[in-house]
Order: sequence, then C-alpha cells, then structure tokens
Amino acid sequence: MRIVVAIKQVPERDAQVRIDASAKWIEESDMQYAMNESDAYALEEALQLKEKNGGEVIVLSVGPERVGTTIREALAKGADRAIHVDCNDLANRDALAVARLLADAIKAENADLVLTGLQSDDLGYGQTGVILAELLGVPHASLILTVEKTDGGLKVKRELEAGWFQEIELPMPAVLAIQSGGNKLRYATLMGIKKAKTKEMRVAAASDLGAAPAPLAVLEGIALPQKQRTTQILPGDAKQAAAALVEKLKFEARVL
Amino acid sequence: MSGIWVVLEERDGRVGRASWEALAAGQNLASLTGKALNAAVIGAAAEATAKEAAAKAVCKVARIDHPLLSRYTPDGYTIALHQFFEQEKPEYVVYPHTYQVRDFAPALAARMNEVLISDVVGIADGPTFTRQLLQGRLAGSYRHPGSGPCFLSVQAGAFRADEVGAGTAEVTTFTPAIEAAQIRTRPGEPFRGAAQTVDLGSAQKIVSVGRGIKDADNLPLVQELAEVLGAEIAASRPICDNGWLPMERQVGSSGQTVSPKLYLAVGISGAIQHLVGMKGSQCIVAINKDPEAPIFEVADYGIVGDLFEVVPALTEAVKAAK
Amino acid sequence: MIPVHATLAEPQYFSVLEKLLFLILVVASGALFWRRFGPILHRILASRKDPDFHLDHLGRRLWDFFAEVICQAKVIRQRPLPGLAHACVFWGFCAFALVTLNHAAVGFGVGFLDPAGFFGRFYFYLAAAFAIACAAGIFGLFARRFFVRPRWLGAKVSYESGIIAGLIFLLMITYLAAFFTTDGTTAARVLWWVHTLALLVFVPIIPHTKHLHLVLSPATVFLSRGEFSKIPPLVGDEDFGLVTGKDLTQLVSLQAYSCVECGRCSEHCPATNTGKELNPREIVLGVRAYLNGPGPASEEPLLGKYNSQTAVFQCTTCGACEFQCPVGIEHLPIMVGLRRGAVNTGTWEDDYGAKLFNQLERGSNALGISALERDKFIQKQGLPVFDGTQEYCLWLGCMGAYDPKGREIVTAFARVMDYLGTSYGVLKKEKCTGDPVRRLGNDLVFQTLAEENLKNLAQNKVKKIVSICPHCVRTIQEDWKAYGTPPEIEHHTEFMARHADRLPKQASNEKVAYHDPCYLGRYRDVYDEPRALVQISGRLVEAPRHKERSFCCGAGGGLAFLGEETGERVSHMRAAELVATGAQTVGTACPFCNSMFRDALGEMNGTAPQLLDVAQLIARGLPEPIAAVATTAPGGSTRE
Repeated sequence: MRIVVAIKQVPERDAQVRIDASAKWIEESDMQYAMNESDAYALEEALQLKEKNGGEVIVLSVGPERVGTTIREALAKGADRAIHVDCNDLANRDALAVARLLADAIKAENADLVLTGLQSDDLGYGQTGVILAELLGVPHASLILTVEKTDGGLKVKRELEAGWFQEIELPMPAVLAIQSGGNKLRYATLMGIKKAKTKEMRVAAASDLGAAPAPLAVLEGIALPQKQRTTQILPGDAKQAAAALVEKLKFEARVL
Repeated sequence: MSGIWVVLEERDGRVGRASWEALAAGQNLASLTGKALNAAVIGAAAEATAKEAAAKAVCKVARIDHPLLSRYTPDGYTIALHQFFEQEKPEYVVYPHTYQVRDFAPALAARMNEVLISDVVGIADGPTFTRQLLQGRLAGSYRHPGSGPCFLSVQAGAFRADEVGAGTAEVTTFTPAIEAAQIRTRPGEPFRGAAQTVDLGSAQKIVSVGRGIKDADNLPLVQELAEVLGAEIAASRPICDNGWLPMERQVGSSGQTVSPKLYLAVGISGAIQHLVGMKGSQCIVAINKDPEAPIFEVADYGIVGDLFEVVPALTEAVKAAK
Repeated sequence: MIPVHATLAEPQYFSVLEKLLFLILVVASGALFWRRFGPILHRILASRKDPDFHLDHLGRRLWDFFAEVICQAKVIRQRPLPGLAHACVFWGFCAFALVTLNHAAVGFGVGFLDPAGFFGRFYFYLAAAFAIACAAGIFGLFARRFFVRPRWLGAKVSYESGIIAGLIFLLMITYLAAFFTTDGTTAARVLWWVHTLALLVFVPIIPHTKHLHLVLSPATVFLSRGEFSKIPPLVGDEDFGLVTGKDLTQLVSLQAYSCVECGRCSEHCPATNTGKELNPREIVLGVRAYLNGPGPASEEPLLGKYNSQTAVFQCTTCGACEFQCPVGIEHLPIMVGLRRGAVNTGTWEDDYGAKLFNQLERGSNALGISALERDKFIQKQGLPVFDGTQEYCLWLGCMGAYDPKGREIVTAFARVMDYLGTSYGVLKKEKCTGDPVRRLGNDLVFQTLAEENLKNLAQNKVKKIVSICPHCVRTIQEDWKAYGTPPEIEHHTEFMARHADRLPKQASNEKVAYHDPCYLGRYRDVYDEPRALVQISGRLVEAPRHKERSFCCGAGGGLAFLGEETGERVSHMRAAELVATGAQTVGTACPFCNSMFRDALGEMNGTAPQLLDVAQLIARGLPEPIAAVATTAPGGSTRE
C-alpha cells in the first residue's frame, strides 16, 4: 500500500498567544511548534497499515523551512520518505488553496490512500482532507478512528455524534480524515531520528505551482477572546445552583 | 440570486436541534443583509422535516428528495446540493456544524470554487463571521469578498433554536439526478460502542465520582444523573480500589485519560493523579463541599455544596431542560 | 597440650616422586584455573571500552580500596554479624598468603619460613590466630546459609558454597592441627598433603563459582566509575544503550563477574520487597549468564532470554542496590543502560510511557497540563518573576508548578525565603528537567529538554537555582552536564539549613518521622540538613530504615508516570513503616514522596499522621507576614 500522510506543523499547545504588530496574526518570533495532534494519529494509522500490509508511507507537509523538524519527526517514527512543499505565505492561502498545493504534490505519487488529520490545532477549519478528495476525484470518509484493508478496498470505523459509530466500505484510492484517539501513538525514538537522517526529503517550492490566488474567505482581524477561562462558582442553594448550571452548560459552554 | 438557504439536517425523523440553531443564524444573517431566508431539507423523512420547516419564518422550503439520499453519503449529498445550488444560486448557504456537514460541505464548496467558513460562533455587520482559532485562545473575523455563494457552518449552541420565528412557507420538491454508480462509499448501520468494554476515552460526557460519595450505596444518585445526561460513569482511584466501580472506569494517571465535552466531577478533591486524567476535558464542572478543593482550580463551573443535595437537584434541572 | 616450643610441623623430607607429583598437581590446578578464568578475563577485555572511564582520583580510589576491601567496611557495616564473619575469613586469607607460599616452597624443598626462627614462629602463631578466626567465621557463615537460610540468599541452597566452605574449613583445620604434630612424622606429612590437596582443589573451583570475587572484586572496587549512579554518555550514531552483547562494556562485564550473590541488593530493593519480578541480583546474574552464553560480541538482545524487560522497567532507581554492594557493582548504569536499549530502539511498548514521551515532546511538563496553569499559579501567589537581578532562581519543577500539594510546598518555601529576605524569582517559562525520561532511557526527549532548558537559563542569566525537588536538583546538576554547563543548584533544605540560626525555633513536642528521599540521601549525601530543620519544628524520630538505608517511596525511575503497580504498593509499605514509628507527622523533602505518601496515608483506616514537607514545617513557625498582599516592585526586587 502506498500511503501519503499530510501533516501540518502548528504552534505548541502550551504556547503563549500574543497578537503581533500587524494585528493580523500571533507573534511567532519565540513560538515553539509541534505536529498537529490529529495528524499524529493519521501518521500512526498509516504506519500501522504499512506494518500490516506492507508498502510505503510518504509524509507531506506544506509550510516554511521550520516544518522540516516536524517532517523529520514523522520520518523518525517510521515514514519512508517525505515531501516538503516550501511555502512562506500560508497566511494568504485559504483551505482550498492549501488543498490544491497538496493535491499537486500527491498526484505524482499514485497513492492508494491519503490520510490527513481531522482538523488543525491552529486554524481548525477541518476541511483539508475532504477538499483534497474532491480535487483528486476520489471517494473519502472523515472522522475515522480505524482503517482496515479488505479485498475490495477499505473498511473504516467512523465516529458519529453522541457515542455512535458507523462502518463504511469504500474502494481505493481514497482520502480519509483521521480523528484523534483511534490508536495509541508510538513515540519517536533516538534510533528513528538517526535513521531519519538518511531518508529522502524532496523539496518542492509552492511558488513553482503558481502564485497564491486571492483567498475566498479573508481573515480580517484577530482578537483575544473576552472571557478567559476562569472558574465560575454558581451561587445559591442546591436548586438554584443546579438550574444556573444547566443554563450555562446549554448556552455558554454549549455541551448539553 | 435567491438569498440565504439554510440546510436542515434530519435526526431520528425530525429536524435536529443544531439545524434550528443554524436557522436562527440564518435569521440573524437575513436581518443584517436584508436577503430572503429559505430552508432546504434533505435526506430521510424529507416529507416530515419539510412540514416542520414550513412552519417557520422562511420564504421558501425546498425538499430535496431522491431514493439514493435516504441514507447519508457524501457523494449523494454533494451531487444533490450541487445541482440544487446551481439552480438556486444562493448568496449565502448556512449549515449546522455537524459531523455530517463536515463530511460533505467542504467538498461541495470546492466543487463550486468556494471555501466553507466553518464552525462560526458569531455573525456581525459586514457581514463578518467570527470563528475560534488556536483552540479557543484567539477569535478571528472573516469576510467573504467574492460574488459566488458564501458557505458557512455554525457551531452548536452559538445561536438559540428558540429564537426562530414561526410562519408559513410553500414547500417545493427538488429531485436531483443521481446514479447509483456515483455513490462510491457504502455506509453501514450505526451502532453503539461494545457493551462490555467501557470506552471512556471516546465518551462525550462523563460524570465522575470521588470519595465524597462516602458509600457504594449512594452511587445510584450519581448514576441517575449520568443517565439523564447521556453520560458515562467514571471514578477516581479510591472508588475503584474499593471495588465500588470496576477498574476500567478509573480516570487518572493510573487509569484512563479522557477528554469529553463535559466532565462532571462529583465529590472529587482534584489530586494531581486524577487531574492528569481529565484536564483535557472541554468543560469541567466540579461539585464539592470544600471550597478549597483543588478541583475548583481547573473547573469552568463549580458548585460548592453538599453533593447529596446538589446532584438530585441537577438531575431534575437537566430533565426539565430536555 | 601445646608443646612449649610448638611450631608448625613440616615434613622434613619429600621424595623426588612426591615433588614431581606435587609439581604435576600444581600445574594441573593452575591449568584448570586458567581454563576457566582465561576465557572470563578474555570476555571482560573483549567488551567495549567504557567511553567515560578515566583512572583518575587515585587518592579516592586507593582510599575506597583500603576501606572497602582491606577493612571490609561496607561488608561489616551493612550486615554486621555475617559481615564480621566474612571479614575474618578474608583477613585469614590475607594473613595466610605467606604461609601458603611457604607451604608450596616446602613441597619443593625450599621452605623459607623457619619455624624455629623468630620471624617464622611469630608469623606462624599470628597465622594460627587468624586461622581460628577464619575457621569460626566460615563455620558461622556455613551454618547461616544452610541452617538459618536467610531469604536474601535465595531459595535454592548453594551446594558449591558448601563445598567451598568445607575446603576453607579443612585448610584452617589442617593448618592448626599441624601445631599438634611433630616434624617429620607421618601425621605431619599427611596433614601437609591434605592441606595441599585442599588448596589445589580450591584454586580451580574459584573461577567456576561466585568465589571468583576473590580475584576480581578488589579490581572492581578500585576500578569503579567514580560516582554514584554515573550514567555513561552515548557515543556515536550507533550507540543506543545496552541493546546487545556488543554494547556491554568492560566495567559492566567485570562487575557482572564479580557478583557474590550475597543478595544485599535484593534485600533493600523496593521492587523485590513488594513482590515484583525485579530482583537486582538476578539482573546482574542475567548479564553474567549472557556473557557466558552468547558473549560480548553477540547480537542477541540482552533483554529476552537472559533478563526480563518487565523487570527492568520496575526499577525506581532508588540506588539502594548500588549503595549496598560490597564488591563494587554499579547497578544503576546497568539498569538505565538496559532501559535505554529498549526505549531508544522503540522495543519498549508501554501506553503510559509513550504518552509521557509524547507529552514531553509536545508540551512543557511531564503531566501534560497547559503551561497557562503554571502562569496562573505564579500570578495567584504573587511570586516574583526572575529578571536577572535576583540572587536565586526558584525552580518550580512539574510538581511545584502543577500539583496542588507541590504548589503548597513552593508557597511555604517562598514564605521562608521572604522571611529571610532572600532575593529570588521564578522563571517565566520552564520545561520539565527530563528526570523521568532520563531514568526511563529516552535520550531523544531528554536531550531536547536539557538543551532547551539550558538555553532558557542562559538567556535569563540564571546563576544560582534553588529547588524543592531532589529529582530536579540531581538532573540539573548532573545529568544536564552532558549538554552544557548548568548553573549552581541546591535543594531547599540545604538552603534553609544554612540559615537555620535565623529560623524561629518552635516549641513543639510533636514527633516527626523524617523520610530520606532517595535522590536527596543516597544520590546527594544530604541527611543532616533536613534533620536539623526538623529539629527546629518538632522532635525527630527515625524510621527503622533511614539515612542511606531509607526505603524508597516508589515514585522514582519515571514510575510515577507509568501505570498501576503489580503486587503490594511500595508507597504503602514505606508509609506503614513511617506510621509505625508513632509519629504525629511524616516529614518529606520531595514532592514525589509527598504525593506517594498522600495516597498511602489517605487509604489508611483510623487517623493517619499529618504529612508535611520540611518547608511547611519551617513555615508554620514563621510569624504572619506584615503585608497581607505581597507587592512586587517592577523588576522583581526583594519583597518585604
């Protein structure tokens, strides 16, 4: 099986968020980056599929030079080779434009399966995988927890709302958007990192594929949200507090 | 140009609540832009859902019907809605941000050379659409400058379903042209997680009980709350050690790590061993009679009180809100 | 009756045949000895060289040799009675050196110690005294092993030990009996031959049994790595730790062959004491069996047939084994080496371990909690931020920053520092020191953490650090050295003890049982400072196992982050011991010990003693601060 895994390098979860001078994005000068969480699960799924069915795992990432670290981490965990689409103006590209860059890089690979994470920890559009399937003209499924290769193609387990699940069968080639939590993640090892040094990483420049088109959805401005996460102690007796809590959970936290 | 179309999703034979919230968002957008508000229903039970939609304050209701749409597939919905929107040429399309919408709406937008503005939490003049970035640590406002349809999906709970006005609207039927060969995926029947194994890791809501419960005999109190919430029961280590609940229900450093949308900690003090197992929860509620309990440090909402009074009151309140 | 001028009786005459026979037997004995010892020596020398071993600090090596080998200090101190018996046997052997040489010389007709001469007589009587002591000693040890059967010697009775004991006893008895016979008699000749045969049988047996330590252990003690728990660096791109025989080093091989199987390491091991698979002696013997089997050039994994991976990951790195070992075996580098071999190559599959590693790769702390929580804590407590002008950087560590009880310890210590007028600050950002991943053998994550932290400290111009956690102290001071020069660091009890005269003495009769943390006691040799502080706040009581004999709380070695323990919990065993002292308070100096005992004490029926860190014990004796809310001048200057 030839599997391409698209991964994204995102700011570390612990990173302090400060708005930069242009007020268009956050201060990146002392930012630390890590692999997007659901992409790590996509990579894990790909590696497990390779271990079961043979083949190769190619990791692909779009971004500036710094994404090389995350790509090497993926190689250290067991991916066979990598493609880095060097792009310094990701901020000017919307989900469709990024998916086009990915699609161009993938088309040459004749992959059986393309895996992406469900959504990114920074922008969180959650669309790249699905758009990619549309651009490549292949079937897809999203919110996937586990993947199994069958004679006819693939059988996947999809997460539905409220604790329900569904199995879907689809042919290959296909694109799957992987949800976090389906597998236990392996850790990167010293041996893996050393081996990664000898693995191929091909660099393609995004500019070669044409200038970035004007974004269809423009991020005009950013702001720090008004409410910081502080503990709200609900006052009153048991009945009052309970009622207040239900109200908050329904409309403020939106979890009921 | 036919204004705003809200796509309503079917749940158990009726329009789901998230869809009504999307319609409320559509209403909001209509008043900001002055465009006409319409609703489309698609999928199973389209006759019933169309009737419900027709009783709301919308101009038109479209019932998109086809045998191949009775079971959701991304291909079926994308093809059908594509044809519908080619015909209607909406300026805005509003979806609820459900798992289903996330599965097809981006593909549909791409097919029409647009991009979906997903998981919107607010609509303001412009119109500008507010989204959460960086896991809620940043808020971004988006505009759609182009002339094609503007697709957006709204986050559950961002708008209130009860704000949708009533009315009467005409229902028209749209039958898309779909071939069976165009449906490339075969979905199976939905099922719940295996009954034997407790999968706290994928639970969306968890009610967790700690030493405050004092006795195994008091557990039914908490179990009832979990039931009305549709939540799984979990516990801190001492409860499992005592055998009051099985070990698989333990949350903590030596048990399971969970990240549900709602984590309700009942009678749990918040020792680090427990915290590391649940700190990833989206919304943490703590009920404890000790105001200094460390659990309140990580909770979003807290009730300082006797759980034997608060828990039954909460159970009642949840039932009433359903 | 001992004749007035009784001396060692010797045969006066050996026939040529006898001399020839003797020669043949000596050669045969030597050859059999070498047949077994030669390959062992070869295996040790064929092992890879230790990358960080230098024959330096000769003074200290000589002193250790003198104290541990010659004076048998460790042997006696840690197990007094059997230790003394062994010492007698050993000193007997030393004293006998000349005698044995003379004995052989006599066999060839060139005896040089004249039994009639002054020196000869003096020496023979001296040797006789040692022989009595030695015989008594060996008899006692025999009785202990075969009749008393202490469980630390293992369930199987060692027959080879019995044989050796018998031979030693025979040697002593034949020597002493010679005082009661006369020169030239048949009795003298018989005694001579029995003694000789006993000797010649004894020699080849040595390399086949644990008595090889006679030859090796003096070298092992002298050639120690030089420091407690000295973990060697990885060298080159192919070094991942102890993976196969090829990775075994000369020191490890030498130590494996020196093991006397005394079981002192097992006796003090928290894992062995709570029914786990891990037994430190078996680990060392497993390495030895590997060397005797596949050997130092083999590519067979070390963890598999000869040692269990499960056992190796049950180690808390408390160091009681290495500390105890009378023949100089250094268990900790072997344990960590084996773990490295498994983790750096990815053969260790453990959900909790993987989670810990991934958490530290993506985040700043071992608990996986958002760094914002640390910021919130600093803000809430009004802790000053380090800006380069203060004297000390107060290192919070993961427990101090995120654990509710760890935070209480930090807050208490901050109060003490405020009271003393110390200028200090807390860093804006901290990453985990990497202690758990270092002990678990993940060099990839550890290197990243060490380098990033060192960079952060240098950027912030930190010169001195004080920390509430002995694990942080150890890791920063020692383990980070491989990646840079860490600033000075000390533990908060060392800091407070220096200012003890300024800390208000509390009039309290409260009994405080102080628990020595492994990483402060055995690892850092800090025993008295915390005790001085405890005496300020109450009455010190000692648990039966205290100071260098302290019994681990069970959290070390990264185990606090791994899943459930099997068998009895180490923390419970130790907590019970502390409670049994009757103390009203258990005093700790490590946030991990504190956390482990909190769990254990919380599950006890009845009223459990209070649990307080030494900082909290001191802080409770301080007067309430004058200002209710601490104000920090911009730039974080000294607070009043």
